[in-house]
Amino acid sequence: MTAGTTAGRLAWRELRGGLRGGLRGFRIFLLCLVFGVAAIAAVGSVRAAIEAGLAREGARLLGGDAEAEFTYRYASPEERAWLDGLGPVSEVVDFRSLALADPEGRAERALTQVRGVDALYPLLGAVELDPPIPLPEALAGRDGLPGIVAERALLDRLGVGPGDVLRLGTQDFAVTAALLRYPDNSAAGFGLGPRSLVRTEALAASGLLAEGTLFDSHYRVDLPEGTDLAALEREAEGLWRDTGMRWRDARDGAGATDEVVDRLGAFLVLVGLSGLAVGGVGVSAAVGAYVAAKAPVIATLRTLGASRLTIFATYGLQVGALALLGIALGLLLGAGGPLLAAPWIERALPVPAAFGVFPGPLAEAALYGVLAAAVFTLWPLGRASDIGAAALFRDALAGGRRVPRLSVLLATLALVALLLAAASWLTESWRLTLSTAGGIAGALLLLALAALGTRALARRAGRLARGRPALRLALGAIGARGGEALPVVLSLGLGLSVLAAVGQVDGNLRRAIQGDLPAVAPAYFVVDIQPDQIEAFRERLARNPEVTRVEAAPMLRGLITRINGVDAGEATANHWVTQGDRGITYSDAPPPGTTLTAGEWWPEGYDGPPLVSFSAEEAGEIGLEVGDTLTVNVLGRDIEATVASLREVDFASAGIGFVLSMNPAALRGAPHSWIATLYAPEAAEARLLRDLATAFPNITAIRIRDAIAEATRVVEGVAGAIRVAALATLLTGFLVLIGAAAAGESARAWEAAILKTLGATRGRILWSFTLRAGLLGLAAGAVALLAGLLGAWAVSRFVMETDFAVVWPNAVGVVGGGVGATLVAGLLFAWRPLAARPAQVLRARE
Amino acid sequence: MTPALSLRDARLSLRGNAGPVDILRGVSLEVGTGESVGLVGPSGSGKSSLLMLMGGLERATGGEVRALGRDLTAMDEDALAAFRRDHMGVVFQSFHLIPTMTALENVATPLELAGHRDAFARAAAELDAVGLGARADHYPSQLSGGEQQRVALARAAAPRPRLLLADEPTGNLDGANGAAVLDLLFGLRDRHGATLVMVTHAPEVAARCDRVVTLRDGRVDGTMLRAAE
Repeated sequence: MTAGTTAGRLAWRELRGGLRGGLRGFRIFLLCLVFGVAAIAAVGSVRAAIEAGLAREGARLLGGDAEAEFTYRYASPEERAWLDGLGPVSEVVDFRSLALADPEGRAERALTQVRGVDALYPLLGAVELDPPIPLPEALAGRDGLPGIVAERALLDRLGVGPGDVLRLGTQDFAVTAALLRYPDNSAAGFGLGPRSLVRTEALAASGLLAEGTLFDSHYRVDLPEGTDLAALEREAEGLWRDTGMRWRDARDGAGATDEVVDRLGAFLVLVGLSGLAVGGVGVSAAVGAYVAAKAPVIATLRTLGASRLTIFATYGLQVGALALLGIALGLLLGAGGPLLAAPWIERALPVPAAFGVFPGPLAEAALYGVLAAAVFTLWPLGRASDIGAAALFRDALAGGRRVPRLSVLLATLALVALLLAAASWLTESWRLTLSTAGGIAGALLLLALAALGTRALARRAGRLARGRPALRLALGAIGARGGEALPVVLSLGLGLSVLAAVGQVDGNLRRAIQGDLPAVAPAYFVVDIQPDQIEAFRERLARNPEVTRVEAAPMLRGLITRINGVDAGEATANHWVTQGDRGITYSDAPPPGTTLTAGEWWPEGYDGPPLVSFSAEEAGEIGLEVGDTLTVNVLGRDIEATVASLREVDFASAGIGFVLSMNPAALRGAPHSWIATLYAPEAAEARLLRDLATAFPNITAIRIRDAIAEATRVVEGVAGAIRVAALATLLTGFLVLIGAAAAGESARAWEAAILKTLGATRGRILWSFTLRAGLLGLAAGAVALLAGLLGAWAVSRFVMETDFAVVWPNAVGVVGGGVGATLVAGLLFAWRPLAARPAQVLRARE
Repeated sequence: MTPALSLRDARLSLRGNAGPVDILRGVSLEVGTGESVGLVGPSGSGKSSLLMLMGGLERATGGEVRALGRDLTAMDEDALAAFRRDHMGVVFQSFHLIPTMTALENVATPLELAGHRDAFARAAAELDAVGLGARADHYPSQLSGGEQQRVALARAAAPRPRLLLADEPTGNLDGANGAAVLDLLFGLRDRHGATLVMVTHAPEVAARCDRVVTLRDGRVDGTMLRAAE
C-alpha cells in the first residue's frame, strides 16, 4: 500500500470522526474562507456585470457608434468632411454657463452644464421629459422663444418650471419640460451644474459660443453595420493625430468610467485579499489548534510506523477537503449574492450593469482561496508532521520546534510568490499588488511586534496590580506566552488601522478643503471673459470696494504632442501633463510673485521663435530642461516652442496656475478668452455675481465654495468606499476574534472553575474576563490608532501636502471599536464557563 | 458538638450519553472537627465525586450535605464560592495552578479574594513553610510536579481553612515527592487543626488518616478506624 493511499484512508477515518462532532473546531476556519472567497467573488462578479453592462450600452452612453471630440472649437471643414463620409453625424456642443431666471422679480442665477444639440440628437437611445413630449417639440420652444429642457435640480434652484422663461447669456429660452433622463450620460456623477439641453442654433445670439470660449464639440457617428472599429480608430489617429481630435468608439463607451470601474474593482479585490490575509490568521490558528488536539493521535500513528509524509498527507487531505468545502460555499455566496441583490445594486450604480454568473471572477476567487488556504495551513501542518512518537510521553508541542522545516518554509514562500504573481496578473497592476502586499506584510509585522510589546507591558503591570485579583488575573492572561494578545491585536489591528488611517486622512483633507482653503481661495472663478471685455471687467472690479483682489490671465487649451520631436506620451511614460489638453497662458513679463528656478523670462515685446516657461515640479517629473523643445497643438495648429525657463507654480491655493506660459507673439491670432479669480468676503459673493452677470451676460462664474463642496463630496465618496472595504477586513478580523474566543472557551471554563474553588464569585470572575477583553481591545485599538496616525500623517504630509492634526472623534471611535469588538467576542464565550460547575470542568482535566 | 461535615443520604446523578448515571446512591457520613478521613475504593466508586459534594464544587441531586453546620445544597454558586473562600482549602491531583501566575501570585490569590491586605507577605511565608521560598517568582511551567503540588498545598492552606479537601494529592507524583507532600499536608493539618478529607488509591496513604471510609458503587462499603498508636 502506498503512503498516499494510507494517508487517504487515515484522513477519511479522522474526517468522518470530525464530521460526527459537527466540525466544531473548524467553524471559524470555514467562515474565514467562505467570507474571504465570497467577498472576492462578489466584487469580481459585480465588476464583470458592470463591464458587461457598459459593453452592451457602450454605443448608447457614447451617443453614437463612434465620436470625435474637440476642445474650444468645432471640427474643421476637412475633419467634418471625413466624418460625414463615415455615416450620419450628430453635432453636440457642451459648455458651462450661468442660467438666469426672474421669478417674481427676484433674479436667480445658477450654474448649468449646457448641451447644444442638433436635429439628429440623440442618435441612439431616447430623452425622457416631464411632461412626456418629444424632444424636437420641447426644443422648438414657444411664443417665438427657443425651448430649453433642464434637470429638476436646476429648475428648482431657479424656482422655475415649464411655462417660465430662463436666460443663457443674452438669449431667453422658454422652459418646456423637465429633463428626466438622457442617454449619453457617461460622466455619471461628477459635474459642477445640472444638465440642460437646447438647440445649438438657438445659442447663436447668446454670445456664449464666441471664438475662444470654453466649449467642447462632439461629433457622434452612426456607422454602418459591421464597421471595423479598431481599423477606423487607427485611421482616425493616423489622419488627425496632431490636430487635437479625440477619438472614441462604442467599445469604450463609458470612457473614464470603465477605467474607474477597472481600478476600483482591482482595488477592492486587493482589499478582499487583505481580508483573506486576516482570515488566514484565523485559518492558521484553527489548524494549529486542531493539530495540537490531535497530537496524541499523531504520536500514536508515528509509534505504529507512519512516516512524516503520511502524517502530513493525512492532515493535509483533511484540511484540503474542508478548504475546498469553504471555497465552494464562498463561490456560491459570491456568485449568488450579487444576483439576488441585482435590482438594488443596479439602482445604486450610476452606470448600467448586466448581472449573471461570470466564470472568470469565480475562478479568480477560487484560485485566491486555494492559494491563501495553502499558505496559511502549511505551517501548522508542517508542525504536525514534526510530532514524534515521544510526544506520547511528554507535552507534544511544548518542547518541539517552533519553526517548521526548511522545506515547509520554502514551500510557503513559493506559494506566497505564486499568490502575488496571480494577483498581479489578474488585477493587471503588479505595482498596486506589491504595494498592497508589502503594506499588509508590514502592518502584520508591526502589529505582531506591538502585540509582543503589549504582552511584556501586561506582565510588568501585573506586579503593580497586586491586591486587585481581577485586574491581576486579566493582566496575567494578557501577558502570558501563547495568550490572546497576539491573535487579538493581529486580527483586529489591520482593519482598525485602515479605518484609523482613512478617517484621519479624510478628516484632515476635509479640514484643508473646507477650513484652510476658503480662507486663501478666491470667491469666484470666472471664465469666458472675451478679450474686448477684460479691461472693462478689471475696471468694474477695481471700483468695487468689496473685491479685495483680482487675478486674470488669458487662457487657451493645447495638447503637448511632442517633446524634442518624440511622441509626448512615450517620452513621459504617459505623465498627466501630456494626457489630454492643458491650459496655456501667455505673458510678456513674469506675473508678480513668479519665482524662476531655471532659465530666464523672454524680453518684453519678444517676437522671435516661440518660447515657453514650464512648471518646475512637472518639468522635473518628466525630465524637461531649459533648451528642450515642445510641440503644442493649439486649436489644430502646431506650435513648436523652446523651454526658456522653469518656474514655481502653486496649484494648491485654487488661484490661477498654468503649467505652460508662452510669449504673447507665439499665440498671436489664436482665438481665446480670459479667466479670472476674484477674492471677496463670503457675504459679498451674491451681490458680486449679480453685478457681473448683469454687466457681462456671456461670462460664467463658478463659485469656489460650490466647487469645493463638490470636491468634498467626491472625496467623501472615495473615503466611504475605502471605509466599507476596511469594515469588511474588520469583520473578518472579528470572525477570527470570535474563533480565538471560542477556542479559548475551555481554558476560561477551567480558569473560572479554579477561581470559584478559591472563593471567587461569578461577578468577580466576569469582571476579570471583562477587564481582560477590554484591556486587550484597548491595546489593539491603541496600536491600530498609532499605525493609522503614522500612515495618515505620511499621506497628509507627503502625498496631500497638507498639515496634519489628530481627528479626535475618529481616534476615539477606533479605540472604542477595538474595545467593543473584543468585549463582544470575549463575553460571548464567558457565559458557559461562568455557568459550569467547577467539578465538571476539573474532572475533565484530571 | 457539630460535625465539620455531615452528609445524609447524599445522591449524585449525572447525565451521560446513554441517560442518567447514578454516581452516588445515598451516602451518609459524618466527619468530626479536626478529624482526618481517607476515602478509598476502586475506580468509579464515587470517591472524587463525594469530595466534590463536600466542597460544594458539585451539587447533590438528592439528600443533604452540611459543612460547618451550613447546608451546602441550599446555597447558590456565589455563596458556595464565598464559603470556600472563608472556610475551605482544596488540593487536586493535577495541582491546577494558574499558569499565568508565579508561585507567589498563585498562593496569594485566595488571600486577595478574601480581602487580606497582607496577602503577598502571608503567601511568601506560606511558600517558605513548604520549602519553596526561593522559587516564589517561578511560573508553574518552571516547577517540577512535586514543587507544583507544594505550591498548591500552600495555596490551599494560606487562608487557614477549617476544612482541607485533597483529591489524590500524590497521584501524579513519584514515591519520594508523594511522601514529602503528604508530610506537608498532615503537618499543615496538625499545625492549624483543620479537618482533612483525602481521596486516595494507596492504602498506605489512607492509613495515615484517623479513619478510612471505603466506597463501592456509589455507597459507603465500610469504615475503619486507625488503630491507636
